[in-house]
Amino acid sequence: MLALEDLTIRMDGADLVRRVSLSLEEGRITCLIGPSGCGKTSVVKWLAGVLPPGMEADGRASLDASPIATPHPAISYQPQQDTLFPWLTVAENAAMGLEIAGASRAEARARVAPLFPAFGLGGWEDRFPSELSGGMRQRAAFLRTIVQDSRFVLLDEPFSALDAVTRLRMQDWLCARLEETPRGVLMVTHDLYEATQMADRILVMAAKPGRIIRDIPIDTPRSGRDEAALARIRTDLKSLLLEDET
Amino acid sequence: MAAFRHILPPLLLALAVLLAWEGYCAASEVSPLVLPAPSDIVRALWTERGPISGHALSTLSVTTLGFSTSVVFAFAVSVALHFTPWLKRGAMPLFVASQTVPIVALAPLMVLWFGFGLLPKVLLVILVTFFPMLVSLLSGYAATPQAFRDQLVSMGARRWDVFRRATLPTAREPFFAGLRISATYAVVASIFAEYAGARRGLGIYILSAKNSFRADLVLSAVVVSATLTLLLLGLLLLVERLTGRRYRKAGHVGA
Repeated sequence: MLALEDLTIRMDGADLVRRVSLSLEEGRITCLIGPSGCGKTSVVKWLAGVLPPGMEADGRASLDASPIATPHPAISYQPQQDTLFPWLTVAENAAMGLEIAGASRAEARARVAPLFPAFGLGGWEDRFPSELSGGMRQRAAFLRTIVQDSRFVLLDEPFSALDAVTRLRMQDWLCARLEETPRGVLMVTHDLYEATQMADRILVMAAKPGRIIRDIPIDTPRSGRDEAALARIRTDLKSLLLEDET
Repeated sequence: MAAFRHILPPLLLALAVLLAWEGYCAASEVSPLVLPAPSDIVRALWTERGPISGHALSTLSVTTLGFSTSVVFAFAVSVALHFTPWLKRGAMPLFVASQTVPIVALAPLMVLWFGFGLLPKVLLVILVTFFPMLVSLLSGYAATPQAFRDQLVSMGARRWDVFRRATLPTAREPFFAGLRISATYAVVASIFAEYAGARRGLGIYILSAKNSFRADLVLSAVVVSATLTLLLLGLLLLVERLTGRRYRKAGHVGA
């Protein structure tokens, strides 16, 4: 289990995030939802070890009850922005994390090679990101994240740049991939529908300062979820978020 | 076809200017000592081809040595400044100040300090060409998208890894832009260094032609100098194209 305790993030002397605690379990998707500016991305960036230099943070991260420093090899991170390196091929991009972790170029390529078909990228290994569609780019980014074999994955609004149809396809596709290779996932999203479809647990954040105001578990397996029940959760979430804004 | 479209307009324009020049010289009967016609310059170039090519070769060797040293030096300094912010803060004003020293003052001083050999000329070429490359490299480094750095750091990359995998490739395009600017200065700087004091080179050739009131020979040397600069630019373009397939495929850096 990956736990985050009492995280406070300050910027220009003011609390951006105050005393946020959460835990992630392997094989479960936790969605972090909240209004813009509530500090969702900052929480994720802190866990990824890439908090911007202008921010100060106090907090503890632990893995299976042992304190850890971030960045940590057990945690991989996919930022909101598409970060496929445009001058590298899809295969080179996918292998990058493994190479940084110490694998030789040949080793890293050999490990990513069998995964391309499952990620819908078979035959596109030697193409450049500019030659791929939005959905394919996103799948390539997921491949790079998943292949790192980390136990926990942080996804910051992974579908925000996609059109509505691709987005729906990618949500199902990602859930299927995560069922094949279970990870503990923390996913930031603005989309209530996405959160209720994908999450096993939804954490709702409020702004000024950013804090967690509600923890909503969704215990029904994704395949058996009742749309009426999900709609009720979405209505609750909506009123929580609107209430916080007023 | 695309290359033809790029080359044709400047060729036509140059041809029009040369024709107008030739026509003006014929119509106004201006003395060739003052303004030789392009045909006079071509004739002088042909007659003097032996001596001019000898001097051009000397200028070319100074330019090549000075420019290539400058590229290596600019890269090394840019890396040092990138990894040492306090050094960058301290050194940049000095580098900027160094660019305000007029080359007219510097060239004779170099000869005074280092004699008539290769060293003062190479140093002058470095001084003139180093700064545009340094600035373009540093601005290229600074343009690295934060998201690229974050992605690499979250994977456990160290500073050098981030530099090698994200910063350096991002700086490629600005670097070549700086390289092209510097290349245009390099030949001129060599000629100026030779002008201040040398035994061989286009600079000293221009000086002695000027002293003999041979405007046609001065302009012949100018034609050779322009040709050398264009050749250098062509070579850089070739290197950029041969090494840059994946960067052209990239389209643009950043997301």
